[in-house]
Amino acid sequence: MAQLDELIHQPLRLKIMAALHAERDAEPVEFSRLKAVTQATDGNLGSHLTTLEKAGYVEIAKDFVGKKPRTRVALTPVGRKAFRRHVDYLRAVVEGVDGD
Amino acid sequence: MGISKSEAASALADIESTAGRGRLLKGYQIGGPILMAWGAVWALGYCAMGLLAPDRWGVSWLVLDAIGVAATILLSRRGKREVAAGARAANGWKTAAGAFAILAFVAATYAVFRPTSVEPAIVFPGLVTGLVYAGVGVAFAPRYLWIGAAVSAASLVGWFFFQPWLAFWMAAVGGGGLFVGGLWLRRA
Repeated sequence: MAQLDELIHQPLRLKIMAALHAERDAEPVEFSRLKAVTQATDGNLGSHLTTLEKAGYVEIAKDFVGKKPRTRVALTPVGRKAFRRHVDYLRAVVEGVDGD
Repeated sequence: MGISKSEAASALADIESTAGRGRLLKGYQIGGPILMAWGAVWALGYCAMGLLAPDRWGVSWLVLDAIGVAATILLSRRGKREVAAGARAANGWKTAAGAFAILAFVAATYAVFRPTSVEPAIVFPGLVTGLVYAGVGVAFAPRYLWIGAAVSAASLVGWFFFQPWLAFWMAAVGGGGLFVGGLWLRRA
């Protein structure tokens, strides 16, 4: 049976994981776009990304496009699996397999 | 630790709305450069209408529309990997059918109402384009509603206040408006 992933369940981290999971072929997403999609502030997004990176759920790559710094984030295979398991758990609760 | 059914439902709704917002922003980023290309086509086409004799207008628009379609196909390839092949083919057919329906509507309207001067023929495509973008905005992507409203309003202002320079008005304000709208979408 799928289980609650407390790390993912935090509202902003859930949005981050959902946005990254929606990318086909686990394509990296630029920080600015992730910020727009999740409607988070720079600081908040950065801190939750660090938490997800430490858990091995996301990979953060920093490089330069010309002279402009660029940060891109992608879901790792572990993160993808964890997110799917978490969504399965949520669906199970909604369908009444578990929960109140 | 478990969570309640309502918490789980709310989390699932958050996931769906986040994925939807991501798709919408990606759609804007793909659509922006296409709209900019059509803004340039409009500007050139209406300038040609202002400068050339009416019997050359058809050829000018034919060439410019062909360039616009080619640009649309090239720029759409950026979004190639974003959608599954089946959905892409279905969208391609829908877009082609939609464009054909709009062209048929414009041609049928001209056939029925038979404009006796060139001004209505110049302004009508602007109104139809505005309506189409507004419809897309209401149904799928809200920013297109504002772009459609701006194009329609600009066409009407030209009709009521700038008729002697209508073609150049449509080139500057209609074409320019589409270009600026495209920039706005691209930065979403």
